[in-house]
Amino acid sequence: MSDQLFGFVLIGIGILFVLAIVFAVSSRMGRSGTPDGPPPRGVHMPNPSFLPVAISIAVVVIGAALALRGDYVPANPWIGIPGLVLFIGVVIAWVRSAGHEWHEVEQRPHDDAHGH
Amino acid sequence: MAAETPTMQVVAEPRREAGMPTPMVGMLLFIASEVMFFGGLFAAYFNSRADHAAEWGPPGGHELEAWPLATILTIILVTSSFTIQFGINAIRRGDQRKLRMWVGLTLLLGVVFLLGQLYDYSTLGFGIGDGIFGTTFYTLTGFHGAHVFGGAVGMTILFARASQGQFSAKNHVAVEAISIYWHFVDVVWIALYFTLYWLK
Repeated sequence: MSDQLFGFVLIGIGILFVLAIVFAVSSRMGRSGTPDGPPPRGVHMPNPSFLPVAISIAVVVIGAALALRGDYVPANPWIGIPGLVLFIGVVIAWVRSAGHEWHEVEQRPHDDAHGH
Repeated sequence: MAAETPTMQVVAEPRREAGMPTPMVGMLLFIASEVMFFGGLFAAYFNSRADHAAEWGPPGGHELEAWPLATILTIILVTSSFTIQFGINAIRRGDQRKLRMWVGLTLLLGVVFLLGQLYDYSTLGFGIGDGIFGTTFYTLTGFHGAHVFGGAVGMTILFARASQGQFSAKNHVAVEAISIYWHFVDVVWIALYFTLYWLK
C-alpha cells in the first residue's frame, strides 16, 4: 500500500470514527417517544455561548496545519492534531448544548400568543 | 320583566401556524450562502481554465476518466437523493420504520460516496500542488466532499433520532431541512461531475 493510499485510508477511518461519535452522542441525548404535536411555537434564540468562537479557532488551527506543512506530508501533525481534537470536542459540546436547550424549550410553557 | 341585553361573545380563534418553520428558513438562508460559496469556486475554476486554456488538464499526462469510478459515485449520490425523499414521504405518512430504513440507506450511500472519492484521489496520480488544474480540482471536489461529510453528520443525527422515534407525521421539520441540504449537495456534485469530467 502506498503512503498516499494509506493516508486516505486513515482519513476514511477518521470519517467513520466521527460519525460513530455523533451517533453515540445523539442517541444518548435524545428522549424516546413520538411527539404528538408540532414543535414549540415562536422564535427561540440560543443562549450566549463561546462555542462558535471556539470552533472558528479550531478551523483556523486546522487551516494553519494544512498551510504550514513540510514536504510529502498532507498537514503539520503538531498543529493539526490539537486543532482536530479541539474541533471534535467543540462539535460534541455544541450538539449536547443544543439538545439541552431544545429540552428546556419543550418543557417550558410556550403559549406565546402575545410574543415570543 | 328585565329587558334582555344582547351580549356578544368573542371567541378567540386558536392561532394557526402560518408560514415556514424557523428551521426551514434557517436552512434555506444557509443554502443561499452555500450557493454563493460554490459560485465563487466555479468562477475561480472557469477563470483559471480561460487563463490557461492551452495547457489545461491534469498534469503529467494523466487522464481524468469519468468512467467507471466518477460515474458510479454520481449514480450513488443521485440515488441517495431519492432514498431521503422516500424517507420524507414515509414520515409524512407517519411510518417511522420506513423513515429509519431510508435515512439509514441514505447515510450508507453518502459514506460509500466519501470513501469512493478518497479512493479516487489515491489513484489520480496528481496532487493539489501539481499546477493550477490540480489546485482547482482538489479545491472544488474537496470542499464538496466536506459538505457531503457535513450532510452525513446530519444524516447520522437523523438516524439516531429516528431510532428513538422522535419524528412523527406532524413533527419532522429536521428531516425536511436536512433533506434539502442533501439535495443541494447532490446538485452541486452533478455540476462538478459534468464540469470536471466531461467538459473538455
